[in-house]
Amino acid sequence: MRNTQVFAGSSHPELTSLVSRRLGIPVADANLKKFSNRETSVEICTSVRNQDIFIIQSGSAAINDNLIELSIMIQACRMGSAKRITAVLPYFPYCKQSKRKGRTCITAKLVANMLAVAGVDHIITMDLHASQMQGFFQRPVDNLYAEPTIAKWITQNVPNWQNGVVVSKNAGGAKRVTSLADALRLDFALIHKDRSRSGPQGLNRPYSGMPSSQSDGTVRSLVTRVSNVENDETEEGVEESGEDAMSVSLSSLNEMSAAVSVVADTDGEESTITLVGDVVGKVVFLTDDIIDGCQSFLDAANHMVKKCGAEKVYIIATHGVLSGDSVNQIAACDSVYKLVVTNTFPLPEEKKLACPKLTVIDISNTLAEAIRRTHNGESVSYLFHNAD
Amino acid sequence: MADNSIKIFTGNSHPELAKLVARRIGLELGKVNVLKYSNQETSVTIGESVRDEDVFIIQSGCGEINDNLMELLIMINACKTASARRITAVIPCFPYARQDKKDKSRAPITAKLTANMLTVAGADHVITMDLHASQIQGFFNIPVDNLYCEPSMIKYIRTCIPEWTNAIIVSPDAGGAKRATSIADRLNLDFALIHKERKKANEVSRMVLVGDVRGKIAILVDDMADTCGTLGLAAKTLVENGAEKVYAIVAHGILSGKAIKVINESVIEKMVVTNTIPHDEKMSICPKIDIIDISATLGEAIRRTHNGESVSYLFSNVPE
Repeated sequence: MRNTQVFAGSSHPELTSLVSRRLGIPVADANLKKFSNRETSVEICTSVRNQDIFIIQSGSAAINDNLIELSIMIQACRMGSAKRITAVLPYFPYCKQSKRKGRTCITAKLVANMLAVAGVDHIITMDLHASQMQGFFQRPVDNLYAEPTIAKWITQNVPNWQNGVVVSKNAGGAKRVTSLADALRLDFALIHKDRSRSGPQGLNRPYSGMPSSQSDGTVRSLVTRVSNVENDETEEGVEESGEDAMSVSLSSLNEMSAAVSVVADTDGEESTITLVGDVVGKVVFLTDDIIDGCQSFLDAANHMVKKCGAEKVYIIATHGVLSGDSVNQIAACDSVYKLVVTNTFPLPEEKKLACPKLTVIDISNTLAEAIRRTHNGESVSYLFHNAD
Repeated sequence: MADNSIKIFTGNSHPELAKLVARRIGLELGKVNVLKYSNQETSVTIGESVRDEDVFIIQSGCGEINDNLMELLIMINACKTASARRITAVIPCFPYARQDKKDKSRAPITAKLTANMLTVAGADHVITMDLHASQIQGFFNIPVDNLYCEPSMIKYIRTCIPEWTNAIIVSPDAGGAKRATSIADRLNLDFALIHKERKKANEVSRMVLVGDVRGKIAILVDDMADTCGTLGLAAKTLVENGAEKVYAIVAHGILSGKAIKVINESVIEKMVVTNTIPHDEKMSICPKIDIIDISATLGEAIRRTHNGESVSYLFSNVPE
């Protein structure tokens, strides 16, 4: 690729070197540092005049620093008379804040404006939380998908994947997840979490999405609910062997009283979760675009394995943010068989080691190919449906 | 100086709704003359002074959608150049809202273009209802208040569907699951979802029901119904799976093309839509249509915006 420079922000050097190796050009020299007052300083150490510039910057634990660094690098290249500047954001920072709830800010839009003001000409990103975010920019945005790579990984690495079912963790993600289900030609189910139903009013109204023998009144549902709570506690406290847990869940399934779990939120509020769909005896791919805090994933996994008769649960997410203690919690949860994420977001080495269930899929090929095609003016749409 | 005066105008898209809103606020609609030259260009004459006034322009995106959009843009611009203090575009049904993402290669994001055009014309504020995706708020650099039909729909279900306690809320596609669950939660009802499976590229998609509707009253909920093909098929699927009756409740009933025929021939018991779009003609040929009046919500939002009061109350309540 002539007249091209690929720069790397400091967020994810590992991914950048994979991409540059795949492209066959070295990462261009830039001096990124911080002054003692913690201001970011950027020096571009090679000429960018009239060149096609790609800057790869993901998020990381220091997400604001990464964002400012990226903005400064874009501006530095702009001032250095670059011909075109493409920001490659495998993980788009602030992408969860893409809509207004009450008086909140649409921060993703602010980020888009900041990048535009800094002087970016083109954005390449992956699995945006909402694809409508492409409309936040006045410039072209290529939203790549990790789905082909993930689908390929599943078909190559999951024995018996044809007996699988793709499950969305919440109603909002249903659409994202159905496309994976379609790509793999698998069935689809969804977990529904409901806060309001666990209140005093909810107690009196059983959630009868479960089998019909259960709808015989208030007292019964109350009993079920309490026993569920106890059940959860014992299963957390005493480590049962996998087979025992399985027989417990299957027997309770036969009694047809086990389709609701009561879980506590971080703020101590109780909610009920139910499964809409069928996972009995199946391999579950519990899928979402981002996994950060993992409590909702664990609640869903526990619910499916212990109450709904699922055989195994794979947690699959494109962006493995996994902040806080998430990896340890997942490692400790025996309902989760494997955790699969891609390398769009940098995970520190100690977190990778802490969780033997963790598999990281490499998506650098997709990014590199998108960069190559963008540079050469070729169509990118091929990458939306194909890995490699 | 009159610093607290308000003017409401409307174009030709939906005068009945504008009248209902104006009556709710207790005002007359402002005088405006919107017509077309013989070469089909739109001409707007604002018939009274708007200098230093708080102007609200009600125009829905329906029927002749491009003409209506153009009317709205010209009216906004006419008020802007006539020194209006603030111009709020009240768009009950946002035009081009479905073209909000690059879902296919090279697809334009026309909703964004519409947003840019409104801003360039001179709108200072936008009030709209049940946006297809709430991210569209981020397409604007001006404040957008996205109101919800949900409280009105819930009120309708409670008062007009006698068997509602034995109902189940169904989303006709995966994208609407969130909207449906939110209504199900508010009513303490169950929830199911229909998934259109695309197993092969050229195969006709199959509808799969996720959830259990046996012996229940199924209420299909969506934000928009256009040709109603999906709704018709969904209703058929629900009945095949043992649903007793099927209602459909939709915020924006565009009902274009063969929609009326589909509804009349389908098993849908009642097709409930809101009056963000005019339905008078369709009502006469389709007895199944029922209308929820949302002018109270719009009127109250205009009143609160004008007075600088909080609008969030309207997100979960129907004003009295």
